[in-house]
Amino acid sequence: MALPVPSRKMTTIESAYLLEVVKGLVLTISHVIKNIFDPDHFRTIEYPDMKKPMAVRYRGAHRLLTRPDGKVKCVACMCCPTVCPAKCITIIAGEDPDDPAEKFPVEFDIDMLRCIYCGFCVEACPKDAIRMDTRIYEINAYTRQDMVHNKSYMVNLMEGKKPEAEDVYRANPSTAPAGYTFDEKPIP
Amino acid sequence: MSMEEVLPVLVVLAKCVFAVAFVMQIVPLLIWAERKGSAYIQDRPGPNRAHILGIRAGGHVHSLTDVVKLIMKEDIVPGHVNWFYWFIAPVVAMTIALSTFVVVPFGDYLTIMGHKIDLRVSEIDGGLLYVLAMTSLGVYGIMLAGWASNNKFSLLGGLRSSAQMVSYELAMGLSAAVIFLMAGSVSLRDIVDAQIVGWAPNGTFLNWNVFSVPGAIAFVLFWTAAFAETNRTPFDLPEGEAELVAGYHTEYSSLRFALFFMAEYANMIVAAAVTTTLFFGGFSTGLPFVDGAFLREHADLVLAVIGLGAVPPLLAFSAIAWKRRNRDFYKALSADDIRHREPRFFAALWGGLAVVHLGLGVAGLAGIPTSVLGVELGGDLVALAVHMTAFSLKVLFGCWFFIWVRWTIVRFRYDQLMNLGWKRMLPLALANLFLAALWIIVKETMLA
Amino acid sequence: MPKVKINDTEIEVPNGTNMIEAARLAGIEIPHYCYHPHLSVAGNCRMCLVDIVGGRGPDIACNMQARDGLAIRTDTPAVKKMRASVQEFLLVNHPLDCPICDQSGECRLQDYYMEHGQYESRLNDAKVSKEKRQDIGELIVLDAERCVQCSRCVRFSDEVTGTGELRLMNRGNHTEIGLFPGERLGHHYQGNLADICPVGALTNKEFRFRRRVWYLRETASVCDGCATGCNIDVCHQEGEVFRYNPRRNDAVNKSWMCDPGRLSYQSVMSLKRLLRAHVDKKEVGVDAAVAEVVRRIRNASSVGVVLGTRATNEANWALLTLVRANLPGARIFWVEGNDSTGLPADKILIDGDKNPNSAGVRLLAAHDGKVGDKTALKDAIPELKLLLVLQDDVVHRLGGMSLPPVIYFGTYLNDTSERAAVTLPVAHTVEQDGSYTNRQGRVQRIRRAVNPAGDALPAYQVLEKVGAALGRAPGTAMPAAAFNTMARAVARLKGMDFKSLGEGGLPLAALPPESSNVQAAV
Repeated sequence: MALPVPSRKMTTIESAYLLEVVKGLVLTISHVIKNIFDPDHFRTIEYPDMKKPMAVRYRGAHRLLTRPDGKVKCVACMCCPTVCPAKCITIIAGEDPDDPAEKFPVEFDIDMLRCIYCGFCVEACPKDAIRMDTRIYEINAYTRQDMVHNKSYMVNLMEGKKPEAEDVYRANPSTAPAGYTFDEKPIP
Repeated sequence: MSMEEVLPVLVVLAKCVFAVAFVMQIVPLLIWAERKGSAYIQDRPGPNRAHILGIRAGGHVHSLTDVVKLIMKEDIVPGHVNWFYWFIAPVVAMTIALSTFVVVPFGDYLTIMGHKIDLRVSEIDGGLLYVLAMTSLGVYGIMLAGWASNNKFSLLGGLRSSAQMVSYELAMGLSAAVIFLMAGSVSLRDIVDAQIVGWAPNGTFLNWNVFSVPGAIAFVLFWTAAFAETNRTPFDLPEGEAELVAGYHTEYSSLRFALFFMAEYANMIVAAAVTTTLFFGGFSTGLPFVDGAFLREHADLVLAVIGLGAVPPLLAFSAIAWKRRNRDFYKALSADDIRHREPRFFAALWGGLAVVHLGLGVAGLAGIPTSVLGVELGGDLVALAVHMTAFSLKVLFGCWFFIWVRWTIVRFRYDQLMNLGWKRMLPLALANLFLAALWIIVKETMLA
Repeated sequence: MPKVKINDTEIEVPNGTNMIEAARLAGIEIPHYCYHPHLSVAGNCRMCLVDIVGGRGPDIACNMQARDGLAIRTDTPAVKKMRASVQEFLLVNHPLDCPICDQSGECRLQDYYMEHGQYESRLNDAKVSKEKRQDIGELIVLDAERCVQCSRCVRFSDEVTGTGELRLMNRGNHTEIGLFPGERLGHHYQGNLADICPVGALTNKEFRFRRRVWYLRETASVCDGCATGCNIDVCHQEGEVFRYNPRRNDAVNKSWMCDPGRLSYQSVMSLKRLLRAHVDKKEVGVDAAVAEVVRRIRNASSVGVVLGTRATNEANWALLTLVRANLPGARIFWVEGNDSTGLPADKILIDGDKNPNSAGVRLLAAHDGKVGDKTALKDAIPELKLLLVLQDDVVHRLGGMSLPPVIYFGTYLNDTSERAAVTLPVAHTVEQDGSYTNRQGRVQRIRRAVNPAGDALPAYQVLEKVGAALGRAPGTAMPAAAFNTMARAVARLKGMDFKSLGEGGLPLAALPPESSNVQAAV
């Protein structure tokens, strides 16, 4: 359906168009001149070389936390796939006969192509097993399959380093998300 | 064969090479200006990433990589095209764009070994008629491409282009007619000469055609029509991507597409050159008393002024602007980044240019050029350089104007385009022709 | 019929109804752990405490018989506080391992905490820890920590199975459920223990960790494991069936079902399913196979047809009408027997007849009057040139007699499909709508929970295609239409229609006095 758009009747000078063209040209050239003489007029960040300072609680790629014995904290409770609005988390649960935690994720896949980085999975996790504090946002791959981050990838994502965000939270605890723990305690 | 017989042939060949080179040199420059200009209009830095051995050259490398890309790309020939016309269409477009330039004078004359060489490729007297003829031929490339692509979008693009051409040709021709009424000749050389002399001192910009009442109106009409003829925004309906995919060149890829791409820019250059010649005094400097004779007489002084007064401040300004622009960028790079070479490279280049120009200036002051080359040749060369510079600057500004308008104004609707062409510009051009005739009669009776 | 008042609702309830049931009839839910409608009242969870208007104090609703003039309130502040306190008390030693507990999502502790608890924890001491993950039976894992000592499982094993393996042991905080040392659960109704356990103490080993229950959708259906026809909920997600749960039907199975029936959901995704149509062992499309069936029927000089005790009423009706309309010379039989050996009949639920619809076939046989039985089929075999078999493994049931070429409409790969000249895949019970008649003569609905696997179609739809190709379609493309036509034709189905079967099914009408002897056999 066509909607009537309220429009103003143009004056003669406006409909002659020539003056309006000149006005437009003055506007655009003023931008060019400003940009030549004032390098601060545009603040484009020249991305691969310069990087934007990150928000304190920036949500980057997911990592899975481990217990001191090296097993993942996750017990496959299915809270994150349940709460995930993008339905990007796939967990296959299994039983570990030797582990007091009984249940563990045999497979834990996150399809990063589907993920919308809302952070609900982190909020929902009762075991603090998944976090998005890695600040990794350059998530890319050559195939769709490689965009699915699996359990071992997410466990080893930080390669043993502490995420940068943790230092920020430690220095200024008021910025840390509720329930953020610094010591990775074993499950009782 | 004696030197006497060979020389004219050589001269014509050299001028041909020069004309083609002149246009083709400006094309990558324009592509760069298009990108950088649009970026600056839109408050962004524009192309600045590609580099060769760390030298980014302010985004010029992107034009080079584009050339490489276009050459390396697969040349796709769709199965459904009418292959003969499809093959020749880009060639026609490019050839006609280049050949229009042959009648445009880019300097007055040069005397070599006693021969006075006219500085335009072809010395035909019907220059303006030739220009009009060639520009209307230019549509053939587009029409052939659109038709031979055997594709409705391309065909529509080609049809739009020819309809547009027909609509604006009239206004263009009538505006040009004003000029040859005023100059009393259709030779472009005569038109330029007529704009150097006039009621103001020789060479003054006030003598240019654009500074007379019918000339000014004719200029606006001619310039608008030139936009339409070159298919530039706001008249780029033949390639209106929202409606026609890419219009007439939808089916072209690789170098064939590059030919269309270059033809568009070559057309811009030619349009700017013709407009410069008709309305802005061609190669005339625009400065009072500075005409060809003056330049030849004071060759050393002119050289000194350019070498010492004009070029070094420009270099200094661009160096400072570049430095400020890249202030944060080099800080952000890692220490071993190859792009740290660039400041040193630019320092050397800019320094070298400054030294050369200062040297020329000092030499001019000392009167060396005329004493070494002889008064005649030295004078001619200085005049040529100044005329060429003036001409090039005017043409480049015209081209920049094309770009500037493109990033300012939106595309017309098709009915608006037709209304403007037939209902506004054609009557205006006709009226202006009468005005011009009246103007000339009044002027001549008053002078008499 | 005493009249009671619950909150502001007055309601008349049958004699002997307790107040939890009375409240349920009035549309008010009284929370409870230990009370179960099919078990005796224990009254040890105290969650169902209600205020008696004009009474001395609160009392438990489960042990309160409805009597005239009784008025209770479930919404007073005192009741609310009592519920919260009971909830807090029950959770004192609960490990709160919901993330790994299979009961999450259908746990009364979770539900009632959200509805009636919502308190701040006041616990300072360490929780009493008990043994987790005890393997106590073939199907059951016991987690003593999670137990709230409601004793439902103890009463179940005492009262329903009568085996009495489970007991409450120790005292106070240390009370826990357990078996005598060295003993294991020995009955075939273990799955019910996991069902009746209101918390995660007893969980089903077979379903454990396979899927979170909140993902599952439930479709009301009937178990096809034996002639009992236990009512079930088919729990499925995205076309995959994960478990059968018993559905309460006081007339058939109360709230129980047997373990083999519970595990029979595995047959849906079984590798022994017949998924494609075959002609002489070569895979073909369904339509091609139907054409082949029609060609063979036309070429055969005498055709025998076997009704299916494993097929729905609608399918049998379709076959019967198809044959009577199109093949005047054909002879119809039905064959008793089981396709495979199962548990012997017991007094609780399990029946010796492992077919869900033997009664339905008997009914149709009586209606037709000319349907021969197993012996008649054995006698007729030498004369038959073609045998149409609906779902039953007739070859197995006849003990490997040599048969004429067989056309088999079947769900599984078996002896008959092995021998059949043409096979057509038929949908599983959970893949189609229809009805079964159980051993009591109760007509019960089955409902489509998932889409048929492979090229399978409900049998009545396959037969509709065959009938249409033969000339006269039985008009059974839709199960409701098939059932309603059948109900109009068959005397004992008078007055039923597909919709009125509802969730619980309807019993067959009583025999009319002038009925023949054949019908009396049903």
